[in-house]
Amino acid sequence: MTKETKLKKTVPFLNKHKLKETGANLVVSIFRYVLLIAISYIILYPLFAMIAYSFQARFDIMDTSVTWIPKMGTLENYSLAWKALDYPNSLLNTLLIHLVSAFLEIFSCAIAAYGFSRFKFKCRGLLFGVVLFTAIVPVQILVLPLFLNYQYFGFGYIVNLLNLIPGVNIPYISLIDSPLTFWLPSIFGVGLRSGLFIFIYRQFFMGLPKELEEASWIDGCNPLMTFFRVVIPSSGVVFLTVSIFAIIWHWNEYYESVIFFTNSFPLSVMLSSIRGSALHNLGYSDAFAAPPVSAACLMFIAPVLIMYLFLQKKFIQSIDRVGIVG
Amino acid sequence: MKKDENKVVETNNAEEKKPSLTEILKAEEAELKAKRKAERAKKKGKVAYDINGNVIPDLNAKHVRGIESKKSWYGFYFVLPWIIGMILFFLIPLISSLTYAFSDVVPEGGYMDTTWIGMENFKFIFENDDTYTSNLLSSVGDFFTQMPIVIIVSLILALILNSKFKGRTFFRGVFFVPVIVATGVVMSLLTQSYGGNGAIIQLSSSISTDAYSAVGTGGGMDFTELLNSLELPEDITAQLNIMITDIFNTIWTCGIPVVLFIAGLQTIPSQLYEASKVEGATAWEEFWYITLPSIGQTLLLVIIFTLIELLTKSDNPVINQAYDQIKNVEYGLSSAMLWLFFAIIGIITGLIILIFSKTCLKRWE
Repeated sequence: MTKETKLKKTVPFLNKHKLKETGANLVVSIFRYVLLIAISYIILYPLFAMIAYSFQARFDIMDTSVTWIPKMGTLENYSLAWKALDYPNSLLNTLLIHLVSAFLEIFSCAIAAYGFSRFKFKCRGLLFGVVLFTAIVPVQILVLPLFLNYQYFGFGYIVNLLNLIPGVNIPYISLIDSPLTFWLPSIFGVGLRSGLFIFIYRQFFMGLPKELEEASWIDGCNPLMTFFRVVIPSSGVVFLTVSIFAIIWHWNEYYESVIFFTNSFPLSVMLSSIRGSALHNLGYSDAFAAPPVSAACLMFIAPVLIMYLFLQKKFIQSIDRVGIVG
Repeated sequence: MKKDENKVVETNNAEEKKPSLTEILKAEEAELKAKRKAERAKKKGKVAYDINGNVIPDLNAKHVRGIESKKSWYGFYFVLPWIIGMILFFLIPLISSLTYAFSDVVPEGGYMDTTWIGMENFKFIFENDDTYTSNLLSSVGDFFTQMPIVIIVSLILALILNSKFKGRTFFRGVFFVPVIVATGVVMSLLTQSYGGNGAIIQLSSSISTDAYSAVGTGGGMDFTELLNSLELPEDITAQLNIMITDIFNTIWTCGIPVVLFIAGLQTIPSQLYEASKVEGATAWEEFWYITLPSIGQTLLLVIIFTLIELLTKSDNPVINQAYDQIKNVEYGLSSAMLWLFFAIIGIITGLIILIFSKTCLKRWE
């Protein structure tokens, strides 16, 4: 190395080209940070605002000098929201209905996706097209016939067909208000956003090396055993990704829950009605509704947020490695 | 002597190893014929031949021949539950919902009493419901303006978040917050209960208007206030307000696309970039010739995802109107409203996806 180049390396300003580069880099990184911080502000602002409001007492709302940190401060909003949401009951409902069906979905979608990714059977392309189609069609369009199907449930239309025979009249069972309305589609892998999950799983499974599975085939495992003993243990990453998405989307599910449940609701439905009826029933006027509503929102997000904070690091790593798209 | 012998053997070997050209051709032809014959036989699924056209008895035993077809049947078993579920919980409801749109529907225990009335429902909507037409047009318009914006913005954000810099993990964590909060009720509650046209920015300002208007004072520092204090002409202030709310909405919809894009970007092998650097490609060229083609599949996934997200937004006027019709027990009308909306959007996006996958994806591969 000559003296000159050594000098250039240690003192970048001597190198015109390098100077230009570092200058450009500096501009780029400043621009990047400004943009990211601005967007983080947009994202975090409502969250922090909610937290701030949830602790404010009535006096704080009326006090113009209070913007963030309340002067009086109160936990009353939380107890109010607790009552309005009927928190323990509806949390239990959410867990029973949505968490369970999220887990069912995680497995049923994986099984279907494995079939799509590893085996060539007739009509595979067509059926996978249908998977994408189920992902695109919104529930709103299906919800009415589904409601009928559940209210007069005939075990997959078998009873409906039998009743067409004159003289036969088998009574239907109503599944409304039972968690089965969500469990059944999830068991079959056509639950909430299942199409998307099957798509994600399939991309991942197609990227897995075939050799392991072939080895277990030769050792005498049938495909199902291979799937459970070889494929699932080596695809923890994609399972984590799908689990987080499935749990969050089920937690937030609202549209179908309103329609399929009539008396004991999951959290999301309780939250959606909190402003309209629940607070009114507790004798709370609209003008001061913001703090308890904020508290209720936070109580609703809290479990998922905590789960996410615990899994965040792993999740971001897994997003790096899943390669949702091959 | 010994050397000579060796030489003779060698030449003999050479002659054996090198048959004449015609012989080679003949042998190849025969091989090909035999292969074709074997393939044909395989296709018929009756008898297996070896290359020379002889029947192979072992391969014709049931257990041996079955492996491949058995394996493919296993795939069918894996998918079978999904097929059953798809028929019961997707296909049948879809078809019945489509028939509702063309029928007069009267609910009766156990089934819907439908009488086919053709296009009457659609006619009724357009003749008697002015709001529907305007809602439909505005929704479709919104949809096709928001879609490209969301995709482009989230791609840019993902590119930024994918480059190396300090605090990357933190920012990635922050960008996942909308996924948790915005996909559900909290979002709609924020928009509905804090007033306004579905903007989070109004969280603070409308809490203040909510509360402060009761007391009769103003306060709180936010963009709306800031804009008002600038004392610009009212039109401009209103326009800016709309723009800001749009920015907020867009960023909140970008959560999942950003996550998906980051995942896609991670799969691009770094050697490609190294090679392009050696070749002296600019960042722009790198983006167009490496990054974009490599994430073609992700792009497709994001398009599909954004489609669902934007369609099922809780503040979509068409869906809300259809929902009101359900409450009025006008099931036929409700179905017709929804189907018209989804058909328009489905056909256009279907065309986009088709063109995209036929041209871009194919070329990029």
